[in-house]
Amino acid sequence: MRNPTSPNQTPSQHNSTIAISPFVGNRTRSRLPTHRIHPATNAQRENPLSNQLNQSWNRTVSGQSPYRSLANSPLVQKTNPSIITASLTTPHQKNTGTIPTNLNANPNSSLLASLSKGNVFGSTISSSLRKVSIQPNSNIPETNTKDENMSNEINKATTTTLTTNTTIVSPEIDLSELTSIERLRLWRHDALMQHMYRTAEYIGNKIYTITEDPNDAFWLAQVYYNNNEFIRAIDLLTKDNLESLNIICRYLMGLCLFKLQRYDDALDVVDELNPFSDSKQDSDPTIAPDGGIKVESSLCYLRGLIFAAQNNLKKAKTAFKEAVLVDVKNYEAFESLISKNLISPEEEWDLLLSLDFSTLGDNEEMIRYLYTLNVSKYIHQDVSKTAKQSLSDEYGLSNNIDILRYQIETLYSQCKFSECLEACEKALDGDEYNPTILPTYISCLYEQNGKNKLFLLSHNLAEKFPKSAITWFSVATYYMAIEDVPKARKYFSKASILDPSFSAAWLGFAHTYGLEGEHDQALSAYATAARFFPGIHVPNLFLGMEYMATNTLSLAEEYFTLAYDTCRYDPLLLNEMGVMYFKKNELEKSKRYLKKALEAVRNSSGTSTIVISIQMNLAHTYRKLGEYERAIKCFKLVLEEAGKDAEVYCALGFLYLKTKRLGKAIDYLHESLALKPSNTSAQELLLHALELNASIVLDENHPLVMNAELYSNNEDKLIQKKRGNISSTEAASMSKKMKMNGDMRRLSPDEDGDEEMDIE
Amino acid sequence: MDEESQLKLIQDIRRNLRRASQDLSKWKLYKSAKWAAEALCGMGPPSTATLEPVDESPLRNRASKGKNMEEERKKKSLSEDEHDLYLLASSLFDCKEFDRCTYFLKDVTNPCLMFLKLYSQFLSWDKKTQESLESVLTTGKLSKNSSNNNGMSVTGIGEDTMSERRREKQSHGVVTMEDGHQSSIAIILMELNSYLDDVLGTNEKKEESQDRLGLGLLYYLKGILLQNDNNKSQAMGAFLKSLSYYSFNWSCWVELLDCVTRADESMLLLTHINDKFTLISDHKEDYDYDTQNIVQYNVMTKFFKLAISQDLNGNIDELMEIIEALLVIFPNFAYIKAQNALVNYHYMDYVNSENLFEQVVKMDPYRLDDLDTYSNILYVMQKHSKLAYLAQFVAQIDKFRSETCCIMANYYSARQEHEKSIMYFRRALTLNKKCTSAWTLMGHEFVELKNSHAAIECYRRAVDINVRDFKAWYGLGQAYEVLDMHLYSLYYFQKACTLKPLDRRMWQALGTCYTKIGNKTEAIKCFERAIQLSGNADQDTTLMYNLAKLYDQLNDAANCKQYMIRCVNMEAQMDGQQTDETIKARLWLARWESKNGNYEIAYNYAASITNGTAAEVEEARFIAKNCQKLM
Repeated sequence: MRNPTSPNQTPSQHNSTIAISPFVGNRTRSRLPTHRIHPATNAQRENPLSNQLNQSWNRTVSGQSPYRSLANSPLVQKTNPSIITASLTTPHQKNTGTIPTNLNANPNSSLLASLSKGNVFGSTISSSLRKVSIQPNSNIPETNTKDENMSNEINKATTTTLTTNTTIVSPEIDLSELTSIERLRLWRHDALMQHMYRTAEYIGNKIYTITEDPNDAFWLAQVYYNNNEFIRAIDLLTKDNLESLNIICRYLMGLCLFKLQRYDDALDVVDELNPFSDSKQDSDPTIAPDGGIKVESSLCYLRGLIFAAQNNLKKAKTAFKEAVLVDVKNYEAFESLISKNLISPEEEWDLLLSLDFSTLGDNEEMIRYLYTLNVSKYIHQDVSKTAKQSLSDEYGLSNNIDILRYQIETLYSQCKFSECLEACEKALDGDEYNPTILPTYISCLYEQNGKNKLFLLSHNLAEKFPKSAITWFSVATYYMAIEDVPKARKYFSKASILDPSFSAAWLGFAHTYGLEGEHDQALSAYATAARFFPGIHVPNLFLGMEYMATNTLSLAEEYFTLAYDTCRYDPLLLNEMGVMYFKKNELEKSKRYLKKALEAVRNSSGTSTIVISIQMNLAHTYRKLGEYERAIKCFKLVLEEAGKDAEVYCALGFLYLKTKRLGKAIDYLHESLALKPSNTSAQELLLHALELNASIVLDENHPLVMNAELYSNNEDKLIQKKRGNISSTEAASMSKKMKMNGDMRRLSPDEDGDEEMDIE
Repeated sequence: MDEESQLKLIQDIRRNLRRASQDLSKWKLYKSAKWAAEALCGMGPPSTATLEPVDESPLRNRASKGKNMEEERKKKSLSEDEHDLYLLASSLFDCKEFDRCTYFLKDVTNPCLMFLKLYSQFLSWDKKTQESLESVLTTGKLSKNSSNNNGMSVTGIGEDTMSERRREKQSHGVVTMEDGHQSSIAIILMELNSYLDDVLGTNEKKEESQDRLGLGLLYYLKGILLQNDNNKSQAMGAFLKSLSYYSFNWSCWVELLDCVTRADESMLLLTHINDKFTLISDHKEDYDYDTQNIVQYNVMTKFFKLAISQDLNGNIDELMEIIEALLVIFPNFAYIKAQNALVNYHYMDYVNSENLFEQVVKMDPYRLDDLDTYSNILYVMQKHSKLAYLAQFVAQIDKFRSETCCIMANYYSARQEHEKSIMYFRRALTLNKKCTSAWTLMGHEFVELKNSHAAIECYRRAVDINVRDFKAWYGLGQAYEVLDMHLYSLYYFQKACTLKPLDRRMWQALGTCYTKIGNKTEAIKCFERAIQLSGNADQDTTLMYNLAKLYDQLNDAANCKQYMIRCVNMEAQMDGQQTDETIKARLWLARWESKNGNYEIAYNYAASITNGTAAEVEEARFIAKNCQKLM
């Protein structure tokens, strides 16, 4: 921690970025229960919150605040906005005085030292501090910051600016002591924050011309970057060789080149290997424990992005991993690893365990839990469940989008589509076009055959985000749902061109070929997908399925094993493996895999199709193994869950035939044929069963005879009674009856004799 | 049972029926409510006898009634919110806006409201699938009608309806609402099961079933859903459970009856009800014990026994006993009379049955239930004018009842207007797709029109709905016999025979089938059994001759001769009238005797042949001449 009272030490950049960013308020609001609050802070906090607002204000302004040192520490900043605001004014005052002197004193000496990130940001402090310092005056931040919790960067920026505009606090105190250059810098920064890039450029340019300070050059480059003028930014940065001097400049340079898609140049700038990998500790002492994301990490991330863009996925993966290992705060790197499917589920968990969350201080636990929710849903479900539980219980995040997303993805991976749909709709209620939820939602709608909703959603998306891959994925899915395969393929390919790392679109594209039975194209599409997304097993799985469809079982087995190596918990995969071994006639193996598959979906919902097909396959396996009773049981379960199916009835008929229960066999075969009259195997089986039925000897054990015996217990009584009745009725009716019976001979199906009367 | 307890019993029945009618109509089980109310009013006037206990009983009754009301209010335990919700849901239900009703009830916890929600969900699903069935019926009608005009494309129709049927069956699975929400029986059932598990789990702790009615209703629904899935045994369990919670739900008994497919099952079920079935009562209410909560006295079990024995040919003595016993309590209840008529109908006592039906119509002229059976009787008895009157009469009451349509169809059939008849049957089925007799009778009509494939299709539908319909099985057997597919027809006759093992025709048909297949020994067994069951000489000659011929083919001359002689002897019972079979038998005997040298006997046989075909008479003359020569 720095000593803010020392005039020579400029506050590090981290301090300032925190001050700039509205996160300050947010972090305070996160209400960590484990928060250790300094007693002094406590007291201090109460002060401004209670009636003594002015008092504290005055006191801090005077620069005599005993809490100053405390207040400047990042911890306190995080705990209480009012303190920051109150106390930060002091360093501000000091800084405004010190920075220029500092810079002016040795503008050329120790350029590297002064050009640390801290200095680069140095000039911004004034303006940013002012923004924050305003907060206690109005009570807005108390509530505002809370609401801001979930808002994105842009929103945050605007809220800050809003507060700036609404309440302007005695700026003359500050401004009066500023040098003219400082004022210009303030101006430039305000303009930048408010996205008025022309203004920022205009002023920044003037500042740079006046001072020729590399700091100002960097800031100008920053302005150019924000204005999408990448080439100008590069020119500026290269002119003074800034990029070779300072790591953050290099980062910016690399970013610009990346945006220009000059990947090789960008790679040159950021280096192919992490230069800091071995000398982490002395890389930059000012990258303090309090702070933002380490630039090295960002550099690594950029490197990863470049590699990914160059389709060098292995290197990209290492780079991303490095990035997140260097600084756990680099969520983007972490997310890229997972969402681009670069690593397998197990690797994900290993990575998670190797991450060092300790730099996060009080947030350690929460962030760890949050990251836990991101990794694969196939394994360690209990861990992620507890993570989710404590996140929603202790941190009040139960309605946060990431928790919801976790729930949704869990439900989806368990094939509970209807619940998943509901959860998606709930999540999208708050954030209609959330890109992390939409793909799952779209897939869910497809699973549930929600064509109508897909249609509306696709139209909405196409109107609002015509350049997003998700939009075209949605459109393609709609066409899949209405079974217009060529169109679906067109849009899937569009989606995958827009975002090559969008695995769902790639797979959809491959599926369209599979659906049309174009095996070769499907195979190549799946193979490409398998190359692009080494972290998911699905492409390999489908490759295996394609090979199985062409009866190339050995190749299928190979691919299945590949898929199995990446993810051994997917019931679909296990099921396919079971089927494959069934086809290879390795029944015991098949049984084992199918049982595994059943276990994997055990807590999945009953109606999901996957359970049914697993059950069915298992039943067939049992049938082949000769375990007829078990097979029958399985088939019955299938019937209960899936409803009527001709094949199942046929199989049941066969099994009953095998187990010598002829009546049932015939019944089931009938049922089968009723559903599907063209089923030749059922026809043959039925004929066979009927022949058997005809050849059964009518002795005491024949069910018919037994049944008749059962009745004939009452027989005598009955007949007597009947005859008695008849005799009691008139002779006329008797004769009629006789006549009727006469008719019976011909066709009569029943006693009514109905129509037969008319034949006469 | 002494008089006092008898009175008490009647009081209890009265009170229970009253409450059932209210409860059930509140929760939209209109049919059961109607039945309960009918029964209540059929009980005759409350006894005014001024016995000591009677004086007391109304008081007691009133007191318990007050308590009852209070308890009921407690039990229903609809909070104010829930009650308001109920009002909304109830009116939506009445307006048949089932999806809306489900939507508004989506978060309820009260068992009764839960029932209403799931019930409306089920009905909505049912409505949607019913619509698809209707389309089948209408399109089927078009194709069939057109083909009736040109009898050529017979097979085409069979396939046509087959595919339609398949389509319909497939659609039975899942109804997708186009917005991703699916509803199917399985989904409703899953929700119901999890809810029941929850409720029972918590209830056991409380050791009190707080809501007998609600649970009863929920189990009833579960049974219906399971039955729709063709899961009869589980459905039966659910119905029994429902009845043990709430026995006065008549529809539930009826559904339970529908689960029974064979006579032996019915016996098992009855013994189960007698021995193991218990009615769960409110333990907390210690007010004078309700006789209706004890199985022996429960009047509903009696009604069920009546219904099940009527439907599955139980012992007629027992049946009559039950009917008489029930008539004592419910002297004016049309249902019992109708059941009585049906019993007689099933024992082919058409005259009695007709009389009884007439009484029913007099007693309750606008009651349409079971009148389609009445029309069947009139049709069989060829009372066409009466049938016409009945058709006119019911058409005035309500044209849009399946019973009405069946009666009209019978009427048109009697007038030989088979197309019209088929149309009316189809209409009946649109109104009530579970009307098996309509399917069967429609099958008969198609047989009339010589359209076997369509007939088969109809019969199949009938047995799909009601496996116990032996007429449909028999019809199937005959239709396949016409198509020369004897293996199939044998199986269907076997089915019919299982249902009616004491019917001669079944065994005879079986025997014929076995003969055609070539399995002579079994054929002989069947014919012998048929002879045992037969009471009609006219038919017996055929049987005997068939038997004799079979023995002849098996070269069992002794038995053959014996049956030939028996066949000829049957003439005596028919006032000496000769039938085709007796003539053939005589001829055979004549041939046999002449071969064995008994010329005198042979001559007698041959000479006695007076009727018959020209060839037969010719041969008889030839034998007679020969014998005369050799004598």
